[in-house]
Amino acid sequence: MTTAISVQSATRTFGRTTALDRMSFSVASGSILGLLGRNGAGKTTIMSIIAGQDRPTAGRVEVLGGEPFENASVLSQISYVRDNQRYPDDYKLHHVLRIAPDFAPNWDADLAAELAEGFRIPSKTKIKKLSRGQLSSIAIVVGIASRASITLLDEPYLGLDITARALFHEVLIRDYAEHPRTVVLSTHLVEESERLFDQVVIVDRGSVVLDVESDEIQNVAYTVSGTADAVDRVTQGRPVLSTHAVGGLKSATLRGLVDEQVRADARAGGAQLSPVSLQELVAAFGEYEPDATSGVALDGGEPRTPVDSQNGARS
Amino acid sequence: MNSVISSVKLHLNKREATLLVPLYITGMVALVSILISLLFWRSGSIPGSTEWVSSSQLNPGMLYGLVGFLGYLGVQSVSTTFPFALTLGATRRAFAAGTVVWAIITSAYLAAVFSVLTLIELATNHWFVGFYIFDVNVLGAGNLGRLIPIVFLGTLAVLTLGGVFGAAWVRFGSFGPLALAVGIVIVVIVALIVVIPVMASILAAFQLWWLAVAAAVIVTLSAVGIWLFLRPAVVR
Repeated sequence: MTTAISVQSATRTFGRTTALDRMSFSVASGSILGLLGRNGAGKTTIMSIIAGQDRPTAGRVEVLGGEPFENASVLSQISYVRDNQRYPDDYKLHHVLRIAPDFAPNWDADLAAELAEGFRIPSKTKIKKLSRGQLSSIAIVVGIASRASITLLDEPYLGLDITARALFHEVLIRDYAEHPRTVVLSTHLVEESERLFDQVVIVDRGSVVLDVESDEIQNVAYTVSGTADAVDRVTQGRPVLSTHAVGGLKSATLRGLVDEQVRADARAGGAQLSPVSLQELVAAFGEYEPDATSGVALDGGEPRTPVDSQNGARS
Repeated sequence: MNSVISSVKLHLNKREATLLVPLYITGMVALVSILISLLFWRSGSIPGSTEWVSSSQLNPGMLYGLVGFLGYLGVQSVSTTFPFALTLGATRRAFAAGTVVWAIITSAYLAAVFSVLTLIELATNHWFVGFYIFDVNVLGAGNLGRLIPIVFLGTLAVLTLGGVFGAAWVRFGSFGPLALAVGIVIVVIVALIVVIPVMASILAAFQLWWLAVAAAVIVTLSAVGIWLFLRPAVVR
């Protein structure tokens, strides 16, 4: 399978702020990548660079074999609507539907009309007066109806009601099956989207913290729960992503596979072992504190210690 | 080239703003000019008299009425359209070129409209009454040889100047247009400091075509400025 998107040590700084810190990953042609992580993790920045709207300060990003910035032949095969997309003054839906085909050679007007009707996007209201969900709907219409080889969907669910989200899933899956393309989708609604993903990349503080095929997620981490003592017995000396404590009870998400020694330690203390869902994994990586000076390395890197949340709440 | 054409079509996609709003403004200014003429008529001035004609031709309302809107149109042609152009897949190069081509098309369109309206005004002996709407000094006093370059170059200069201010905003935020305006003011003042001792002789030798050259310089510098500001611009 060929590589559609290649991100190699991409760094992007804005003044003293580092938005991307040597980020690297690649996306195979015809696959759907879930780009996940907390707000400010660097998802929109890397999507902007992939879409040619920005350039990395250092490193290299290639799309369909070429650098996208100012590359007309590559840009004509990319669709990317930002989550905070600005439109020309006084634009209405019909302005978007009228001009988009001029830039998207594979534009499907019937599909665009179907989506616009399904999302109930007001046709006579100026776009700047539309609700957050209606703005997301327009972004989805452009993203899917463009049928671009590279489709970047940045938080497509923002403000969408459950019916609209179901329509989005239905049409994306249907159209993707009929017209395969490479899709990068960033979202915080992980649970609703995870069945779409062929590959998952979790980013945090501008770096990739996890890059796996979706069917390997179960092998990435596990959760241990029980009394604080029992959990501590299992976590000791093992790479911990996050912990939560409520009263005398505790749970911890640990990186790696459950082996016989883990099972033995859990059994000895009466702790429970359970698999981690993708949503829990994203949350755990989001809580993970890389600046700590003690702890156990996750992947042979620098030792790190997870944040120990005492209230049990997850971000 | 196709990308440039698509960018031009993107600008022309707002047909009402580009093609109709200038006509609305022209109509409003014409209406106000007629009302003012009626006011003078009622106060004793006689349509067709030498005083009436010379006073009517001094009316600069059409210029003032359109310049504001065209300036806005030029600014928004870059400031709000550029982010969407990038989203659609335009290159900065194609967008900047398309913006200038659109400004040329819009200027030619307005020059054509004003030419036709002026011809009608002249053919009807100023709308059968003596109303001077387009046959005014600021538009060449009924001379199409002057009106066409005045409207074309004037519109083009204002649109592209607005465009470069929009590009400065895209590139540097609110600081961009401010710094650009201050820079222009400084250049103008320095130029005046240099030429002021010989200003009287310059004014005495003034030729109308100097304005055309000045407009061409503004258009060229603005077009280059649009490209230079947009080339590294990032939408965030």
